[in-house]
Amino acid sequence: MDVGFHVEPGVTGLLGPNGSGKSTLIKAILGLVSAQCGTGEVLGHTWPRDVRAIRDQVGYLPEDDCYIAGLCGIESVTFMARLSGLPGTEGLRRAHEIMDFCDIGEERYREVETYSTGMRQKLKFAQALVHDPPLLILDEPTTGLDPDQRKAMLSRIKTLARDHGKSVMLSTHILPDVRSVCDNVLMLVGGRIRLAETLQNLSRPSEPTVHVMVHGDSEPLMQHARSQGHEVSMLDDGSLRIEGIEDGQHELVWRYAAETGTAIHRLEPAENSLDKIFFDVASRPESMEARDASS
Amino acid sequence: MPVHDLGYRAWVGGRMPRLLRPWVVARSGVSLVWRRRWLRMMIMMAWLPIIVPALGIFAFEYSPNEPELSRAGLQLLGRLDQSELAARIAANPDEARHDVWATLILAFFRYPQAIAMVLLVGIIAPMMISYDLRSKAYLMYFSRPLTPPEYIVGKSAVIWFFLAMISTVPALGLYVLGVLLSPDLSVIGETWDIPLRIILATIVLVVPTTVLALCYSAFTSESRYATFAWFATWAMGGVAYRILTFAGQPPRFLLPDGSRPRGRRGRWAENADWQEWLANIDYDKWRLLSPYHILGKVEGWVFGLDSTGASVMPSIIALVTITIVGLWLIRSRIVARLRT
Repeated sequence: MDVGFHVEPGVTGLLGPNGSGKSTLIKAILGLVSAQCGTGEVLGHTWPRDVRAIRDQVGYLPEDDCYIAGLCGIESVTFMARLSGLPGTEGLRRAHEIMDFCDIGEERYREVETYSTGMRQKLKFAQALVHDPPLLILDEPTTGLDPDQRKAMLSRIKTLARDHGKSVMLSTHILPDVRSVCDNVLMLVGGRIRLAETLQNLSRPSEPTVHVMVHGDSEPLMQHARSQGHEVSMLDDGSLRIEGIEDGQHELVWRYAAETGTAIHRLEPAENSLDKIFFDVASRPESMEARDASS
Repeated sequence: MPVHDLGYRAWVGGRMPRLLRPWVVARSGVSLVWRRRWLRMMIMMAWLPIIVPALGIFAFEYSPNEPELSRAGLQLLGRLDQSELAARIAANPDEARHDVWATLILAFFRYPQAIAMVLLVGIIAPMMISYDLRSKAYLMYFSRPLTPPEYIVGKSAVIWFFLAMISTVPALGLYVLGVLLSPDLSVIGETWDIPLRIILATIVLVVPTTVLALCYSAFTSESRYATFAWFATWAMGGVAYRILTFAGQPPRFLLPDGSRPRGRRGRWAENADWQEWLANIDYDKWRLLSPYHILGKVEGWVFGLDSTGASVMPSIIALVTITIVGLWLIRSRIVARLRT
């Protein structure tokens, strides 16, 4: 792997196809695999020299199904709290507090081996969070969760980032998760960072564009907008894509509609599809990337 | 502020020093193993054999006044192949006191406790690392500020604790019992070094055996294979040693029914040729094959009772080598797992 990147505060989505090196990158940050060369800084600590200090400040949720055999849920979280240096009784109190936050009820008194996949994900999240780390590294945190639990998990991640100032690195294949919680995106392909951008910038089309859904015939509005110099096309769902309309110029569309007697059902700024970006970046040959960089 | 706030709250307390983190691993491991009722029973059973050497010390201390007890004490020493020591007791009991106590405590270490140790370690040690490999728990451990050596120390400490419970604590208890069963406390002046020797013998016993057991555990995620390898090491080592030390037995010692005589006692005890042949067996040559006999040699030396002529150094080197190579292998296995 050969990577260089800077993670902004907030939630950063770490994307990449299978085998692109996401988990290896995370393990390298934590010092679980040794780097052959390179330096960095994580939370003010020199990497890889101060990797133990870094681990003390990071909460890691591994992708793998991992647990300590024989312990029940609350013991597992307490154990992790103590391993991170929380004193005995306080570790137990904190473990209960975090399990409440993660919505783990009486199941906390059951052995971890008996947990469902979703419960184990919640348990791993509680373990990652119990020592109140400023940086959370979550590797596929919503895998195995049902839709309600997935929503709740993403909500917790958002709350931690927004209200409690946590930085979160979220490695996932589920692009809607990225769209719903991430502020920034890092895309890794073949062991190299191919894309590092805010989600807002990525979502914004190259030309300011709106999507308009109308009641009835859209032809008059389409013709009128074209006559005003806008590029207009019709999408598969029947809505119009009108280019050249900035965020603050939506009243223009309303005026065109009034002038053509068209009723607007929905009007929204167009966003780039994350799926398409992911596909484009992942399938783009590395040589093209290098050529872009040199030019 | 709600009475019970289910929201997230920051942690504002202090943290323990990082050096204490292996202690957390050890404590958790001990509490996990301690839950097994049969194990607690086994530990209690392992304490029972202290009765025999305690009675031996009692018999020795009261032998000047009680000829019956003297006979019982000498009989016990005879069973331990300590006829020379028995002669010394007869000549001057006070001079022999230290060696009598050390012999009885060493016998406690060598026979009942060695068996208990092999059983106990064979039951608890194989699951120490192999369970973590199977459930990928190593990712949980090493995502915290814990290094592989600290993890190994934490896991080893679990075994040390239980081995101390079945060997060091009862041996020290035996010493205290011996003092209490003696006519007066002046015996402490002559035997004060025995508790220190017990601790040193414990270190000799637990460090290499723990490393060996954890090494087997680190090589597989199936603890039963590690258990098998552990018991096979002791059984095969012991059997190989026995066979090889008796391998050169001349045909003239065959019994009329074709079988071979065994040991130093029985009907061959008075046979001079047999005794001479026994005395000439080169035990030292084959000792390194058997962990049990290596430990016996070093423990005997620790208690100042090594009766064999050979140097203790090969045995010490063997134990140190097992420890160093074992630690290196365990660490390599753990680091290799983290890379996958």
